[in-house]
Amino acid sequence: MKSLFIQLNQNGEVTMFRAKFALKVLVCLGVVMVGQLRADERRDHPEVLDLFRPLGIQIQDSVVQVLCGGSPVALGTVVAADGYVMTKRSELTSDPIRVRFSDGRLFPARVAAVQRRNDLALIRVDADIIFKPLTFDTHSPEIATFLLSVGRAGRTIGLGVVGVRERSIKHQGRLGVLLEDDAKGRAIVQLVIPESGAAIAGISPGDRIVAINGEEERSRDAVINRLKGMYPGESVRLTILRPNELSDFDSIDVNAQIRDIGMLQESPSDTKVNGPRNMRLSGFERVIQHDTVLNPEECGGPVLDSQGRAIGINIARAGRVVSYLLPSSLILPEMLQMLEEARANLE
Amino acid sequence: MLLVMIVSLVFLNTVFELTRVTAQVSSNLILDHVDELRFITKDSSLAEDIGESTDDGTRCDVDDSLLHLLSKGGIPKTIDELRALEIQHHKVAKAADSCTVGVKIGAAKGCGVIVTKSGYVLTAAHVAMRPGMKAELFLSDGRVVNAKALGMNRSVDAGLMKIDEGQNNGEPWPHAALGSSKPLVPGMWCIATGHPGGFNDQRGSVTRVGRILAVRNLAIVTDCALIGGDSGGPLFNLAGELIAVHSRIGNDVADNLHVPINHYAESWERMQRGESWGYLPGFKPVLGVRGSPSSEKAVIEVVRTGSPADNAGLKEGDIVEEFGDKLITNFQSLQEAVADTMPGERVRLLINRNGRTRVIVVEIGRAGES
Repeated sequence: MKSLFIQLNQNGEVTMFRAKFALKVLVCLGVVMVGQLRADERRDHPEVLDLFRPLGIQIQDSVVQVLCGGSPVALGTVVAADGYVMTKRSELTSDPIRVRFSDGRLFPARVAAVQRRNDLALIRVDADIIFKPLTFDTHSPEIATFLLSVGRAGRTIGLGVVGVRERSIKHQGRLGVLLEDDAKGRAIVQLVIPESGAAIAGISPGDRIVAINGEEERSRDAVINRLKGMYPGESVRLTILRPNELSDFDSIDVNAQIRDIGMLQESPSDTKVNGPRNMRLSGFERVIQHDTVLNPEECGGPVLDSQGRAIGINIARAGRVVSYLLPSSLILPEMLQMLEEARANLE
Repeated sequence: MLLVMIVSLVFLNTVFELTRVTAQVSSNLILDHVDELRFITKDSSLAEDIGESTDDGTRCDVDDSLLHLLSKGGIPKTIDELRALEIQHHKVAKAADSCTVGVKIGAAKGCGVIVTKSGYVLTAAHVAMRPGMKAELFLSDGRVVNAKALGMNRSVDAGLMKIDEGQNNGEPWPHAALGSSKPLVPGMWCIATGHPGGFNDQRGSVTRVGRILAVRNLAIVTDCALIGGDSGGPLFNLAGELIAVHSRIGNDVADNLHVPINHYAESWERMQRGESWGYLPGFKPVLGVRGSPSSEKAVIEVVRTGSPADNAGLKEGDIVEEFGDKLITNFQSLQEAVADTMPGERVRLLINRNGRTRVIVVEIGRAGES
């Protein structure tokens, strides 16, 4: 801009042209600045994040990225010096697992123990390196406390605050069918909820559900009871008797996913404003709700308070205003139990 | 050269019915409807307009080291200053909880904020719905109290309710300290409370912290993430003063719009008298019928094809006798009754067709659609 103004003083004609041009440039900049002003004034402004960055760097060697079949599915937290990493169980697939460390190196890993009730998995990394386990702190943060979610290499993946004190989140997993007993007492499908796991699996009214994961279930109540134990995001194998044209039944096996009823019932506009979420977003014994904006594949990593204390591990992105973390006071006993199980299996 | 911002807006009350309020519209908040904007010409203070001492309410002391953040916003210089800011957030969040209420009117769930000892409650116009509507308020201590919608300035989405007398043993209600939306600038830190998804007694209110991103006459924008059920909830500054009330959101998580508190001061007397007026740009309710203003009865002369009336099965020649709980005597009273609804609202109509009475349920539409 400076050179423009210097030229303005030298030549009348050019001055006009330059002045108009300069004005245009200024207006453009102004608009751009207004646009940036808006983005810049957010709570996660780079300068705000800069204040937190040293806290993340301190634990950079304790956070890994977890990949399944080459795709990032979660973050992981190093919890033991003999190569164990805690992560979000439901995001793991049957594809080979690899973990990426702060220096970028990738190592294979395998599942060593799982804990369904809080959706945790302990994986063991096959690498001859020095592991730096995270130190958890069971301090319970007040409402409105800043929380820093840390990614691989100490990177900040989000800043938020504690929104609700610790509480349990009941799970509301549903297959998406309304069942009755048929004349023979078998569970017959009356109605299928659109977009439910049942609908996607092609289950239709008139189908009889006779077995779940290979185990026979003889009535509506038995089927419902069995399905109640399933968490959102889990997959079940259903054996179905489907009426055919010969007034008989075909036996079919289908896999169907359990989905959270809240997701099944919401309007398209709610779905849009909620954004991407984890399938397993409910069913936790104790969580702290916070408002950090996370991607579903950013769960499993540690959460620090403004003192740098590791107060827990992110476990779910559950909606526009909701992320959940499992507090350290819950993680620690789960971790010890899973480590014990994993090490016993090693021997 | 013009900064055009298309915001897709969703109101923040949740309606737990099969058909929900899915009010969503593309509206241009900056450039359109400039005639709708009402500029604040007087230095109005809600506290003065109420004419009742509101004493300190939620007001929190602010340490000298944080005064610049309170008055100008901005970013803490050091981690220690940030921790001081955090402690201030703790104080405000704690104070905000007791005056933040869940609101249930009919099937709709939203929020409100108590602003006086006597129990006046600010909310969003679309939560309060209509003058005289009965509401249940859910308090942070578990109590459920009765309240009544007084008035609403729908052109800014400001609504007023009052808690019915005699429900607190003569004790003052916990209430918010009133701030002003005049000195607000982008970059200020703010604390939002509310009941996302509707009041939930296992959870209580949910706190969010963010910053002011834009200040407009019609609304202030923050990155305090809101969702259905938060409508009518309070936004506080660092001093624990009420500066705005949650109203609507766009798809982006940083598009959260709040009604500036000064609009309540401007509209206080009319709302207190039980008046309701205006509509928010893009939210004008329509039924989609025409009739003769001079007619003795509300006779439907034209039903617009594809309109809400058409979709509900209203026919030409039908005479509307009741609209919701309002008695309809002529076409003008029908027009007034429609103006008192929100797009997306389902209304039960009693009509007379060829001498026989029928009930028809209409989902009110939005002007400019279909």
